[in-house]
Amino acid sequence: MNRFILFIAACICFLASCKVEEIAPVAEAPKNLTGRWKIVKATRNGTDITNVFDFTQFRLRFDSTGNYMLENRLPFLVNANGKYALDDPEYPFKLTLTPEGGSAVTTSLNYPTSAGVRLLNLSFVPGCELNAYIYTLSRDN
Amino acid sequence: MLPRLRIKGQRIWMLAALLIVAIIFSFCHIKITKVTIPASAKVGDVVPIQLDIDVSCNSDGSDKLILGVLMPKGWKGTQNLTATYRGSKGDGSFVMTPLSTLAPHGDGKNWPDYMRATFGIAGNLIDDMEWVVMQSDVPFTYGNNDKITGSIFLKLKVGADDNPALVKLAYVVANTTNGFTSDGNVDAGYGPTAEYYNEYIGDCFTVTGGSGDLVDFCNPQLTTISPPKSLDNDLVTITFDSNVANTALSGSSEVYLCATGTTNDGKTIIVCEQTSKTLMKLTGRGRYEITLWPRSFFGINDSQTVTNMTYYIRDKSGTKQVGYGNTAAPFTYKFKCG
Repeated sequence: MNRFILFIAACICFLASCKVEEIAPVAEAPKNLTGRWKIVKATRNGTDITNVFDFTQFRLRFDSTGNYMLENRLPFLVNANGKYALDDPEYPFKLTLTPEGGSAVTTSLNYPTSAGVRLLNLSFVPGCELNAYIYTLSRDN
Repeated sequence: MLPRLRIKGQRIWMLAALLIVAIIFSFCHIKITKVTIPASAKVGDVVPIQLDIDVSCNSDGSDKLILGVLMPKGWKGTQNLTATYRGSKGDGSFVMTPLSTLAPHGDGKNWPDYMRATFGIAGNLIDDMEWVVMQSDVPFTYGNNDKITGSIFLKLKVGADDNPALVKLAYVVANTTNGFTSDGNVDAGYGPTAEYYNEYIGDCFTVTGGSGDLVDFCNPQLTTISPPKSLDNDLVTITFDSNVANTALSGSSEVYLCATGTTNDGKTIIVCEQTSKTLMKLTGRGRYEITLWPRSFFGINDSQTVTNMTYYIRDKSGTKQVGYGNTAAPFTYKFKCG
């Protein structure tokens, strides 16, 4: 009988030791664009033109204070250095570039990861409205 | 030996069987039997085009008639095409099919995209064309074995881009149920491409006048430019096809671009060197191409734009060259979107 009482008491102690643990949701990390980006793929009206033009010298650099810089310019969203902003730092869908002395240009932001590498897809129309371009950029390490 | 089976009223049974087969398998056809169009027109003319149609089906139903017309994008067909119909099922007009309307059997495509995927650009050589799609204002109700004949009357204002052109216009008729399908039950004398839909490709149609350069969709060209319409801030690909004709460059191992750009402030910039900057890469037997950014290629400043360009294709020595139509005149190109 004593053993039975001891067993019940042990069970009560064991169960009483449990407590509800509240887990706070983990905040989404802000998307970080800072760094130097290079073009790894380019399309014009859906046709891959990566290998028919020299895209290798172009660089797009974002710094941590909201500035962007272009190196070796190409047809692009903007043609001068300036400021950049995301519509939402955690879940960005749009990137806005505001060149110095110019008007802000906003484009949809696609930020996929491929083979462990973060990519940046930027679509834009630099010339005739019917001619749409997409540059895929990766960080230039 | 087995006894011969005798069925009472055998002929009646056979007739009944044939009737059942006819009901199960609908034998249909739709065909554009004739297209009447002038051989040529001037930029800005409203061209009358008549399509004669022959339709029949041995089942009954109700469908709207779909009409597609292939034309250069620059003609802005959705604004410049109207159509009416007259036939044994009544008269009426066509309205533009909304781009949000998905085509049946079109794998989620709307009608223009479905036509583009099915019929391409109908043998034209410059991919700057679009299918403009309309539908009848009301559905046609047809009965078993109705023989429907009628005509569609198009009015197409040509050359909204102000360019003279040579182009093969094409026409497609279909219905709003079957799309571009065939179940193989085709009326005698009609193929699977005239069961539920039919395409008609016209001869080369000539548009004269206009202030732009001639756009020849019909005939192979020594050089082509892609995209066909661009500004100096686009990436522009110039292709030279030496297979089109025997030229001074036939047999040359390397060819180069020799171009002259004109800017909006009246400056002329010549880039005519035989270096890596102007080298056209061999992309296939006798085909060469170069992709350039005109603003950089001609080295203009931020306040300038390149408005047009003339060019030749030259050999490595720079002494032999090919010009427009294999003549001494240069190829010409205007940087514009319309």
